[in-house]
Amino acid sequence: MHTSSPLKKEFLKKWMEGLQICCSSKKQMNVLERKKKIKLSADIAMASAKKTPTSWSNALISYARRNEEYMILTDQLLGPESQFNLQKSTDRMIGFHKRVQCKKILKRRNTYSAGKRTKKKTGHPRLISATLIAKRLVKKRTKVLKRLVPGGESMDEFSLIKEALDYILSLKVQVDVMRSVVTATEILSNEKSLKSVE
Amino acid sequence: MNPQFKPKLHSGSTTGCDTSLLERQQARTKWQQNHAFFNGDDDDHHHHLQNMFNSMPLTQQQFSGLIDDHPRLDEVKPDPGMQERWPDFGGGVYGDQLGYGYMNQNTLVNQTFLQGNSGSVSVSVSPKKRKTDEGQSLQLVSEKEKRIKGCAEEGDSKITHQYSNCDNKSSNNSKEASTNTSSKEKSKVSEVQKPDYIHVRARRGQATDSHSLAERVRREKISERMKYLQDLVPGCNKITGKAGMLDEIINYVQSLQKQVEFLSMKLATVNPELDFNIDNVFMKEMFQSSTSEFPALGCSPETANSAYFQLSSLEQAVSCCGLDMGMNSTEMALRRSISVPTSVPGTFMDSSCFNQIQPTATWDADLQNLYKMEFEQGTLIPFQSHQFTGLNEGSNLKMEM
Repeated sequence: MHTSSPLKKEFLKKWMEGLQICCSSKKQMNVLERKKKIKLSADIAMASAKKTPTSWSNALISYARRNEEYMILTDQLLGPESQFNLQKSTDRMIGFHKRVQCKKILKRRNTYSAGKRTKKKTGHPRLISATLIAKRLVKKRTKVLKRLVPGGESMDEFSLIKEALDYILSLKVQVDVMRSVVTATEILSNEKSLKSVE
Repeated sequence: MNPQFKPKLHSGSTTGCDTSLLERQQARTKWQQNHAFFNGDDDDHHHHLQNMFNSMPLTQQQFSGLIDDHPRLDEVKPDPGMQERWPDFGGGVYGDQLGYGYMNQNTLVNQTFLQGNSGSVSVSVSPKKRKTDEGQSLQLVSEKEKRIKGCAEEGDSKITHQYSNCDNKSSNNSKEASTNTSSKEKSKVSEVQKPDYIHVRARRGQATDSHSLAERVRREKISERMKYLQDLVPGCNKITGKAGMLDEIINYVQSLQKQVEFLSMKLATVNPELDFNIDNVFMKEMFQSSTSEFPALGCSPETANSAYFQLSSLEQAVSCCGLDMGMNSTEMALRRSISVPTSVPGTFMDSSCFNQIQPTATWDADLQNLYKMEFEQGTLIPFQSHQFTGLNEGSNLKMEM
């Protein structure tokens, strides 16, 4: 894999911290709860392990913090100094979101008024319909992508792709590390069971 | 004229492509109103364009003349000669004009275009010389374009990359076809004083309408990013359209997210106490070793053999779980029951199968297969496709980290 190992180390470290915080709170948890905790701590670890906080990482963290249950965990995991950054980033995000919406409204108004003055399309009708279909497809898919990437709704297409790039990278890292942890725990548990059998 | 522009240029200066299009459009339209289009001019005349278009990069044809080996930012100076020349050209649009004012190999282009991560694209053009006389200007320009295209290859690879991409993209756009009516206009690229401006030159046969230009900038930026994504997302090399690329990206992100879910569920089942202290040490060892061979790390020698055996089956189990297990589930269950005599795998199998089958139902069959293959290749490199048929030797197993 070409993903960076220092990032992996960082992510793993933070993840383990988060999991320890999790398991220190409650004793009995069913599978689903455990899974949720694991996933949550993994997400937060991934988001916080990045050196330069990007939009999606901030979004992830802010989503996590909104939930009362997880706020304590996230705060503990991230540390006190990062909370200030989070506040700023969430405010910035909200402001940015509004700004983007205003820009979109403006753009729409402009294109609408400009559309009245534009010339007729002189291209081949089939070509035009093909491009229209293509545009529609692209729009649909960008909508889907916006939903997938955390914090993607308030982004224009261009930065959305950048965020998606980044997000894919971190997801890859996350998957790698998680998989290795899983296999490690399995090995350990097998060893234990073997030893107990013996 | 020149002092008119300076305030506009300054007023329009903002952070690059995020600046409102309105300001730029206003500046452009004003400029266009005030000034005629002019041909290539006499050479030996320092020519600094005053026109500032909306944030659009030059396309390959445009830039090819402007790319130099040593781009640098130059101060924008109003061209004193330009004022004299404006009246020469008159106010009309030339009948058979090109989309460029000039092409000159001496012109410099500073391309901070593709460097910033912020997404603000900027190109500053500081042309030094105008083109030759008007009589041959058209032909000369076209010739030089072609010549310069050759030497554009020396330019920044990203930019040429992007230009070829934008050529492909723009050729598909019907908007350009539709704007042919007003296309036979020349437009110039102005210099930039601050590196935030993106100067575009409309290509030959293209409209200089601000909207279409802005559209083109957007498209080119996006296509540039798509290139990076192609490297990242497996199996994207053959797909060229934006919609297809987006589709691949979406599927990939979805698959990665599902993997995370699945792995966390697996962890939850395998590890009932969420006790990962042991793993800490284990993981650190794993990371520190260079080869990261699973059995070699953290396992004592006496358990190595058993670990190998189990590891092989476990690795296979893991690889199975990572992939679609619809067909192999029974085989998997058998294996696991043999190797790991606990009840956990049973429940785990059910849940994992369930997890896997759900997402596969939502995917297209082709993409699903594609991702299985890619997933196999990309992430489980040591595992061959015949892994299910037999137990691998532990020594052959390497979990790539």
